[in-house]
Amino acid sequence: MDLILFYFRKLLTILKNEVLVLPYRIAVLLFFFILLFLPLWMEDPYLLRILTLTSIFAILAASWDLLSGFTGQMNFGHALFFGVGAYGAALLNKYAGIPPWGTIPLGALTAVLAGLIIGIPCLRLRGTYLALTTLAFPIILLGLVFALPGLTGGELGISGITRLAKSRITSYYIAVVVMLGLCTTMWKITDSKTGIIFHAIREDELAVRASGINTTRYKLLAFSLSGFFAGISGGLYAHFMRVAGPSTLEVSLSFQVVIWAVFGGIATIYGPVGGVFLLFPLMEVLRFWQDYRILMFACIVLFTLLYMPDGLFRWLREKTEKECPRCKIRNVAFRDACRICTAPLD
Amino acid sequence: MTQPFLEIKNLTKTFGGLRAVHNVSFSMERDQILGLIGPNGAGKTTLLKLMTGILKPDEGSIRFMGKEIVGRKTWEIVNLGITCTFQNMRPFRRLPIIANVMVSCLSPRAMKKGEWVKRLEAKAMDALEFAGISDMALEKASTLSQGDLKRLEVARAVATEPDLLLLDEPFGGLSPAETDLMAKSIKRLHKGGRFGRLHSEGPAMIIVEHKLQWLMKIVDRVIVLNFGTLIASGTPDEIIENPLVIEAYLGKGGI
Repeated sequence: MDLILFYFRKLLTILKNEVLVLPYRIAVLLFFFILLFLPLWMEDPYLLRILTLTSIFAILAASWDLLSGFTGQMNFGHALFFGVGAYGAALLNKYAGIPPWGTIPLGALTAVLAGLIIGIPCLRLRGTYLALTTLAFPIILLGLVFALPGLTGGELGISGITRLAKSRITSYYIAVVVMLGLCTTMWKITDSKTGIIFHAIREDELAVRASGINTTRYKLLAFSLSGFFAGISGGLYAHFMRVAGPSTLEVSLSFQVVIWAVFGGIATIYGPVGGVFLLFPLMEVLRFWQDYRILMFACIVLFTLLYMPDGLFRWLREKTEKECPRCKIRNVAFRDACRICTAPLD
Repeated sequence: MTQPFLEIKNLTKTFGGLRAVHNVSFSMERDQILGLIGPNGAGKTTLLKLMTGILKPDEGSIRFMGKEIVGRKTWEIVNLGITCTFQNMRPFRRLPIIANVMVSCLSPRAMKKGEWVKRLEAKAMDALEFAGISDMALEKASTLSQGDLKRLEVARAVATEPDLLLLDEPFGGLSPAETDLMAKSIKRLHKGGRFGRLHSEGPAMIIVEHKLQWLMKIVDRVIVLNFGTLIASGTPDEIIENPLVIEAYLGKGGI
């Protein structure tokens, strides 16, 4: 009992001293709470469905950020991992009869394999060339899907897959909890020793090699990690929609991911997640002006990026926080002195 | 039979029609600081790049502590014990300075198994302290001045705990006072010992430099390249007197 109390007090102290001192941390906490408790007073099936899909795509956008934002490996064909995850899960479910909790991780492992397969030829490429090469892979796979309609269902895709969960709310919870868990994991990865190397590879690969790091291994690690997370989101999508079709491999999806991530702010993890949570429901809201939907969407994204080139959430963070010039701890913008070292904040 | 610490034999590298390094052979001992000088375009930096595997030689061999290193990858060579700094500094600009050094601390050579981030941070801090920029550890690398970037390069190289350190113009862009300080720290590093948690055996060094006045004070031996060929080798005093070297630097009639 004492031990529980001890940890409870420790938790409260962390909450008071670390979380409640910065607006963006409060925002993340609220985000967690709202997502987890929303179904208690909101049972609108349409809204739940939108939020479930948003959560699934948030994993996808965050996994793109891990590979392209942090490691700098510009991937314009991220739909490949999503599609491989979706088709992998669908095939395993349909032909081997494995339930969703088995097919989703296995589908993700197939996506890891896909990550390695495209990672190895792309190792020597950089920047625009890498972007163009990665763009080609989902298109090639799409060609294969159409070439083998017996196995993949061709244009119709594989339908009649097991539902993610029996009830709508359970599906919602599975998607949200997996999203929160995976995004926290990704954030932890970027904050670790491996994360430092990912950052450094983005900045200058040759200098990393000259520091004695096997960059090949780390780039492949980035490709497979990103593939794994994107594969999970693909598997969730297939089981939630009960169909894995060619739309999961489309070029437009690859670009959607890039738009979401850049809109939110790359190399942050929270940026792409926030980007999806704003932009994906926005597309639904804009259904009121059906004819001008895409135009409105494009205008909103363009104007945001014109004034906030680092992404919306980075901009918000810059506006609400100040960095202490002495100890580099972040403080809320209205403070005059640093909360740790009490140095004056100008 | 004792093997030489570093032995380079008939090393040749051409870029198209240009012979950057031609038939260069020399060897050095574990306890030496070797100066590598020559006029601009003599092939000094190319020679260093060949030794670190950034460039592949056309011919010749480089044996380091009995192991052939031609054909090995750059990171493998670093983990064998040869680390270089870059002439035009290549910091990770958007990372804090300490993270720049931590990348080196994360190399398999420098990192003991299961070492924690905190300890790596402390080690990186010691390397920064050695280079004299520990007070700026949390600043972004993009905010550093040229001189401090040079120090960062040295800190990054030292953090891999090398046996042979290749310094490409460590005094470039430094003021006379800073140069003096850097020369002293290089000498101190060569002596070896403990720098906080960072243990150094005192690496052998090859220094490429144009500021001969300071270079001659710290090196044991100098080799001179001109048009990719080795034209002289000897102690600093011998080299200063060598007519071939004077001709390479000042042209015929310079004497």
